[in-house]
Amino acid sequence: MAGLRLVNLTRRFGTVEAVRGVSLDIADGEFVVFVGPSGSGKTTTLNLIAGLERPTSGEVYIGDERVTDWEARDRNLGMVFQSLALFPHMTVFDNIAFPLRIKRVPAAEIGERVRAVAATVHVERLLGTRPATLSGGEAQRVALARTIIVHPAVFLMDEPLSGLDAKLRVEMRTELKRLHASLGATFVYVTHDQAEAMTMADRIVVMRDGVIQQVGTPLAIYIDPVNRFVAGFFGVPAMNFVDGELARDGATLTFRAPALRVPVAAPASAGTPAAVLGVRPEHVRLADTAGGWPATVSLTETLGDETLVFLDYGGPASLVAKVDAEDKIAVGDRRVFTIRTDKLVFFDGVTGQRIRFLLAEGAHT
Amino acid sequence: MTRRRAAFGVFRHVVLSAWTLIVLFPVAWMVLTSFKDAGDWVSWPTRWFPFLDFEPTLLNYRQIFYIGGTTASGELRREASEQAYAIWKGVVDSGVIVTIASLASLVLGAALAYAISRFRTGGRNYPYTILTVRMLPPIVIAIPMLIYYTSLPEFFRAVFNVRVAFFDTYHGLILLYIVTTLPYVIWMMLAFIDAVPRELEHAARLMGATRLTTLRVVVFPLVASGMAVTLLFVFILNWSEFLLALTLTQPNVLTLPVLLNKFQSAVEGRLYGPQAAIGTVVTLPVVVFGLLIQKHLVKGFSFGMIRR
Repeated sequence: MAGLRLVNLTRRFGTVEAVRGVSLDIADGEFVVFVGPSGSGKTTTLNLIAGLERPTSGEVYIGDERVTDWEARDRNLGMVFQSLALFPHMTVFDNIAFPLRIKRVPAAEIGERVRAVAATVHVERLLGTRPATLSGGEAQRVALARTIIVHPAVFLMDEPLSGLDAKLRVEMRTELKRLHASLGATFVYVTHDQAEAMTMADRIVVMRDGVIQQVGTPLAIYIDPVNRFVAGFFGVPAMNFVDGELARDGATLTFRAPALRVPVAAPASAGTPAAVLGVRPEHVRLADTAGGWPATVSLTETLGDETLVFLDYGGPASLVAKVDAEDKIAVGDRRVFTIRTDKLVFFDGVTGQRIRFLLAEGAHT
Repeated sequence: MTRRRAAFGVFRHVVLSAWTLIVLFPVAWMVLTSFKDAGDWVSWPTRWFPFLDFEPTLLNYRQIFYIGGTTASGELRREASEQAYAIWKGVVDSGVIVTIASLASLVLGAALAYAISRFRTGGRNYPYTILTVRMLPPIVIAIPMLIYYTSLPEFFRAVFNVRVAFFDTYHGLILLYIVTTLPYVIWMMLAFIDAVPRELEHAARLMGATRLTTLRVVVFPLVASGMAVTLLFVFILNWSEFLLALTLTQPNVLTLPVLLNKFQSAVEGRLYGPQAAIGTVVTLPVVVFGLLIQKHLVKGFSFGMIRR
């Protein structure tokens, strides 16, 4: 068992910097998920940990050992690939036995261990078959079995669930979490799916353009994003953004946008006047009384337990509200909405960085 | 609908059968001729059917497979068409040269293709540069090669003080065949190796395999069909190579294509019978080889065959 430490990792491909100055401590037994859009450098970071890529600069530590220059095969890692990388010319048994054969484990022990690990991931029936005949979920389990069998200290997973259909993906999420709990090993998981990150991670690492944007627990990242990118990446439907500006309005500071004004307290840091208001759909509420903004319902989307309501309030884009499905709302309805101002976040209009305020008392609720 | 489809099926079979006849005609002619006696070779009207039109004979085969003394040892017959022409020398020489050259070319070419595929060895345009070797017609290099091979020993003697011959030797022809077929091997193997997902190699390496082990247990088994196809292709090229062998050997080394060209007699003209018999014999190894690796041929010719 071992933790991981990345120190100022940089990987350049020609003139492109795929990973820029990534530093991170991962505790022993932690489940860390790297998440970001494609090209954000998350897979390259994983390959740097695996030893499949060499960093242009920076260091990788596994446990207390500096492994930056070690061959991939010496690092005692297990990796599950996006394509699963099962060997098509070998049976499932031979695939799972592969790492043991490489280590010259006696044949009798191999048979025993393969059967044992196959049982834990429920693929005993398939040992004699070839990977080509397996279903997506079965192939997934075989790939896991092949990785588990040598008890690696650290598991690396590169979007292992991306090839599965939606239902199976959700099931495998749960199973991976269980597996993590039972193995107690360190998991480093790469995905572009924010739902996977939210559901599985102890900690999430959000990457973009090769740079770590934010590291934190799923909840911290959801509630307290450091910039507009992180705020927009998490949450379904995405956070509402309203472009506007901060203006001093007598004694108080006000966020002003077309058809929307929100008083705020003085910013912790002074920035440019251009600002972006962010509010999650669940924090936009429909009210029957006065004391909010009037709007017209332009579209509704039923989720089952909740309904998404698109509100035209006079701004350039609709505001999305997530409301209880019990509310009977029809397109064309005139409604009044309020915003939970204690949940509002603001971002710098130019840099996208979070502007931290103390919200004014008695704001428009 | 189904009737039209059936009609099309018939039409297709007629066309394909006609084409098969056209393609197989020379082969059939060769095989038939190899069983004909001198008088039937070019008789008119053509004698098509053995036992009906002509009496098949093994005379031609007996001539070319003659074991024992050759014409020199008292077996001299009055007519050239009755003399013994032992082709054993040609069979052995061709067999040795072509087998060694093809296998060496395959091993070297597969390794080079792997290097090019995985490490971009030689840069982006290197494979195309290699291909230009094949853009020269062999006739262009035949005479320069002759001069080169005859002058190389001088060089070796002057510089290293060793006697090495290249002209009219096994290794001389083998080296040349390796060089001329290497571009084909590299290009064919490149297509096969490129089709092997890198993640398979990464997985193997992470599980503790060295690069060589990965090659042995993952990459090469996956491109085995491709290697079989490539070997057959190169084997056929070398097996039928005539021009360079003609120019660069005489009299110690004698390959079958060169031998095949020798059956002419001042009195009787071309000796079609023995020539056809040799032609049949020469074709057989290729056909047998092809049948042996048939399973691989089907897979190998559908490039990019690996199912992920």
